[in-house]
Amino acid sequence: MNDAAPGAARIAAAERSTGLATLLARVALADQRAFEELYRLTAPHLYGVALRILRNAPAAEEILQEAWVSVWHHAGSYDAAKSQPVTWLTSIVRNRSLDHLRRREIDVVTPDGDDDAPEIEFPADDPTPVELLLEGADARSLRDCVDTLEAGQKQAIALAFFQGLSHAELAQHLREPLGTVKSWVRRGLEKLKRCLDGAGVTR
Amino acid sequence: MNLSRPDRRERLARLAAEYALGTSPPRVRRRLVRIARRDPVVAQALAQWERRIAVLGEAVPGVTPPPRVWRGIAGKLGLDAAAADRGPVSWWNRAGLWRGLAAASLAVALALAIVQLTRLSAPASPPLVVVLAGSDARPALIATATRGLPYLTIKAVIDATPAQGKSLELWALPGTGAPRSLGVIPAGAVVNLPLRAPAGESLANIPALAVSLEPAGGSPTGLPTGPVLYSGKVERMY
Repeated sequence: MNDAAPGAARIAAAERSTGLATLLARVALADQRAFEELYRLTAPHLYGVALRILRNAPAAEEILQEAWVSVWHHAGSYDAAKSQPVTWLTSIVRNRSLDHLRRREIDVVTPDGDDDAPEIEFPADDPTPVELLLEGADARSLRDCVDTLEAGQKQAIALAFFQGLSHAELAQHLREPLGTVKSWVRRGLEKLKRCLDGAGVTR
Repeated sequence: MNLSRPDRRERLARLAAEYALGTSPPRVRRRLVRIARRDPVVAQALAQWERRIAVLGEAVPGVTPPPRVWRGIAGKLGLDAAAADRGPVSWWNRAGLWRGLAAASLAVALALAIVQLTRLSAPASPPLVVVLAGSDARPALIATATRGLPYLTIKAVIDATPAQGKSLELWALPGTGAPRSLGVIPAGAVVNLPLRAPAGESLANIPALAVSLEPAGGSPTGLPTGPVLYSGKVERMY
């Protein structure tokens, strides 16, 4: 993987110093250079997110392009009161990636059907979804929140979040009944919400 | 389905969580997005969950996308060819607007001196100064204001008169969110631009101003439509 590329923690630092939100405001003013700078600072994280979910480089590139075209056109609708810039950008990429995945599920009858591009193989030392979930928990309180989840809940949420697995795919992957997996996800999310909101990590 | 009714809140919370996590079936995803467009309660629930979920994703390792991705974006948007070729490089570290502002420190000092002089003769609250410079870093306009007074005084450093049929519009750039129009800058070497409230209030939490080129009379949309000609940081003098 590319360790030179900034992760979200580094982006957060950049955000403080140069102001991603200010860049977004400038993009809304059709400022090309602000757009370039925003891309330079955040595209690696966003590409990483798309790759994780799609596991297919050409598809991730396509989604990234679509997402940035959308950012250019809709930067004016970014509302700082509702989200952090990175959250807003990540949501666009995640949602487009997930839509792309789900669209394929409809088009391709067999979920394991042939794809036009080979799947990306992440290196063996690449963190697993659960490790990522814990690593993301840089803030002590977030880590504590993730730790309160039961193993099944943790794994289901991590796989869904980082690899874009649907309920049905989770059930298949974890070899558990659909109902069990759904309830892991639901209870896990409820627990996270209570814990995160309580710790003031999110509102 | 009216998801914002109190008795449906629980169901909404679950749907929003699954939407943000990405496990909802496509039909439900599409439907939620559609409902959120007209129902602020639903929109807020989705946004809240996206925020929570985003916290989880901070450790995803970054991967630098191949240069063709940027070229594709620049091509699709018809950005200038140079931008497509040079790729996204840091304009913060290049001669650009912000660096221009640093270079314009002489102008700031000058403007300050003027303001200080003015203060001697007027019982004014602390002033605000904005040196508006172009991409060549040359100051074009200097805006000053006294906190308690509802107008900005704009002094042209260069001849900034726009072409026939065009106006210069001044924008407040909040740290976050869309620019807010402060109005069309009247013609003249030194002009006053009225504000809706005293400057200290109108420009509270506004780190920068920008000037864009608009059709005569100002942007028809309420948001900037033309290129940004000048911009500058709001310096608060104490």
